[in-house]
Amino acid sequence: MTDGDYDYLIKLLALGDSGVGKTTFLYRYTDNKFNPKFITTVGIDFREKRVIYHSRGPNGSPGKAFKVHLQLWDTAGQERFRSLTTAFFRDAMGFLLMFDLTSQQSFLNVRNWMSQLQANAYCENPDIVLLGNKADLSDQREVNERQARDLADKYGIPYFETSAATGQNVDKAVEMLLDLIMKRMEQCVDKTQVSDTANGGSSGKLDSAKPEEKKCAC
Amino acid sequence: MSEAVDLSFLSEAERDMILQVLQRDEELRKAEERRVRRLKNELLEIRRKGAKRGSQRYSERTCARCQQSLGRVSPKANSCRGCNHLVCRDCRSYSINSTWRCKVCTKEAELKKTTGDWFYDQRINRFANGPGSDIVRMSLRRKPPGRNSQALGGEGPYPKKPPLGCSLVDGLHVERPRTQAPFPPRGTSRLDGGWGLYTARVGSHGAVSADENETIFKKNPRRILRPADYTKSVIDLRPEELGSESSSMGDRSKSVPGLKTEVVRDEEEEDIDNLVEIHRRRTARSSMRSGTSSSTLGSMVSIYSEAGDFGNVCVTGEIAFSLSYEHKTQTLFIHVKECRQLAYADEAKKRSNPYVKTYLLPDKSRQGKRKTTIKRNSVNPLYNELLKYEISKSLLLTRTLQFSVWHHDRFGRNTFLGEVEIPMDSWNFESQLEERLPLHGKAGADSAGSQQYRGELVVSMKYIPSSKHPGAGNGKKGKQEEGGELQVWIKEAKNLMAAKSGGTSDSFVKGYLLPLRNKATKRKTPVMKKTLNPHYNHTFVYNGISPEDLQHICLELTVWDREPLSSNDFLGGVRLGVGNGMSKGQVVDWMDSTGEEVSLWQKMLQFPGSWAEGTLQLRSTMAKPGA
Repeated sequence: MTDGDYDYLIKLLALGDSGVGKTTFLYRYTDNKFNPKFITTVGIDFREKRVIYHSRGPNGSPGKAFKVHLQLWDTAGQERFRSLTTAFFRDAMGFLLMFDLTSQQSFLNVRNWMSQLQANAYCENPDIVLLGNKADLSDQREVNERQARDLADKYGIPYFETSAATGQNVDKAVEMLLDLIMKRMEQCVDKTQVSDTANGGSSGKLDSAKPEEKKCAC
Repeated sequence: MSEAVDLSFLSEAERDMILQVLQRDEELRKAEERRVRRLKNELLEIRRKGAKRGSQRYSERTCARCQQSLGRVSPKANSCRGCNHLVCRDCRSYSINSTWRCKVCTKEAELKKTTGDWFYDQRINRFANGPGSDIVRMSLRRKPPGRNSQALGGEGPYPKKPPLGCSLVDGLHVERPRTQAPFPPRGTSRLDGGWGLYTARVGSHGAVSADENETIFKKNPRRILRPADYTKSVIDLRPEELGSESSSMGDRSKSVPGLKTEVVRDEEEEDIDNLVEIHRRRTARSSMRSGTSSSTLGSMVSIYSEAGDFGNVCVTGEIAFSLSYEHKTQTLFIHVKECRQLAYADEAKKRSNPYVKTYLLPDKSRQGKRKTTIKRNSVNPLYNELLKYEISKSLLLTRTLQFSVWHHDRFGRNTFLGEVEIPMDSWNFESQLEERLPLHGKAGADSAGSQQYRGELVVSMKYIPSSKHPGAGNGKKGKQEEGGELQVWIKEAKNLMAAKSGGTSDSFVKGYLLPLRNKATKRKTPVMKKTLNPHYNHTFVYNGISPEDLQHICLELTVWDREPLSSNDFLGGVRLGVGNGMSKGQVVDWMDSTGEEVSLWQKMLQFPGSWAEGTLQLRSTMAKPGA
């Protein structure tokens, strides 16, 4: 299936409470389809998608285009699979942390998921985007945007309100995460290669949205 | 504490579903590994061309890459900011912000990104073991607690009925149940918990060949220890007395019909290998290098022939063969049809007694050797024989099939009549047409990279500025004249070359703190027997090193195969230091660290008091490149 004809293999992982829509979100992203049925994920699964990533120079000048093969891990939100799913956190380069805008509880649990990530991801401050899903169900909404945004700001991560049903912000959220990862990658390489860290290197396209420069632990 | 996850709560159906997902992941990872391998080979290629790091000549105002004379240049403006070497304009790559690095450093940086090493380099600081996938898979194969008898090797390494998920997918799965032993605690126990699983897994794969692993000089935990990639043709048939290790080994050797006979058949060449062995020891160490052409990793015969001990026959003729791969049994069939117009081994008597030998390079172990029968007195021998290799397709694609034709001399030495090599990744296995290829002589030294994959060494280093507070890790103490302590934790080596017959090595690591190559700085690990993936887990300590010293010393670590009755065999080495070719203002040839060697050293300098870990590609020679 994969021919190795790509420049980067980037592994992302979706996590969050059961039923917030991780599977349907990924299905929307990879296949651009919506499946309203709820089929609980057994432990883990993944989907793949090939995208083109355009790097940008520091001043926004267009850079090279790269073929990126995305492996999108889908995890079961159910508690009973927890020991299994956390074992996969370490292999992901970035995370889609999702909650359900129509469930206050799923939002409250974001905090727990964050600490799970800090403990089990490849480093203590991995790239994460926070996603409030099911934005189309506005009449059932329990979490307002302000709350969610405040929380995301607190963690210094981007926030998106998404809908797998309408496709709202789905591509955008994944692209943002990919962009964060690609930038971190540049930083890491720069840092290990040069002793003077003054140089910022080339950076990706969505620069302004990044709340603060994160440092990688390498 | 083992990293295994208790998954006994899963139902059969759930396990199967998960295993299928893991199987898909495995395939993706393999494709990725092939890609990474390709990329790394490109780097080797670039390094090989030109490239002289830290050598004498470069500092005499020549470009470190292409050896062009630089004339009078300012060192500051013309040093690569990656490796600090003087580099001419042609050998630079400029980035967007008009800074530049030399081509090798550029390629290294690029590879760090495209191979995902930037990620794995960090990941290894937290998780020293394989991918979560593997852990889960192994956990799934574990018996539920309560019936946990496999730790004793009592019931074999996997559930009697391989899980369904396994048999649904083609190709890769078949060997999995056999090779994927769950990890009973093995002899070498680990101090810190995270390593428990890791050790055990290495233990159960201790006998695989040096090239088993596609991870070219990589630390990536995902790429180490992929049991599925293990070739049956290179298994070491371990002696029975290995006891506790034999439960999984027993299973494996059973799965390799004909292995035993193969070993017996090989005895006939024993004497040749012995001669070569002796010859090799007599020649200077440096000759090891000439023996490591890209086509002859670990080949004794080729060294032998290069030394001129075989008659120098002018190679002629061709070989006709066809290849097929059977997915069901994961077997490569090599139909050796015939050779035509071979050279005469004995020109005077017009005689040749030719036979054909194959290897799947870089595996040149005895277990990886196949031979046809010997045809008497013919330069057009007709064989029509079938040679087989049991090997997974993905691994096969990383190999190069080498045919070599030899004249068998009952009383003297066998004579080389020609060879041909076929990279398997470009072979069309769909066409089973007969192929005719001309034979050529031994690949000369020109095609031989001085860089040759020799496996990796995993090392953790820590510099403690003040010896009064060892381990305190309280950071920089400014300029302290003395008392610093350098700790070098030799963790393990991976994919070492096999130096002993049977495809293993009894290895140890030796350390010197250059410039002093003497007893005062000599350190050794214990010998780890019969494994190509040894866990030394041994720490060298050097005292009285000031922070300033770290700019001028170089830690040389070399891996050796222990030969009790003879001189030890060099397996590979690394040098850790700043790599600028200088020490205390003098030009020295040993300050030649590159790439990961430099970055690990730098990482250690940057964070005094904390461990800096790296996986270093072993050099195939410690001599100056091109010397």
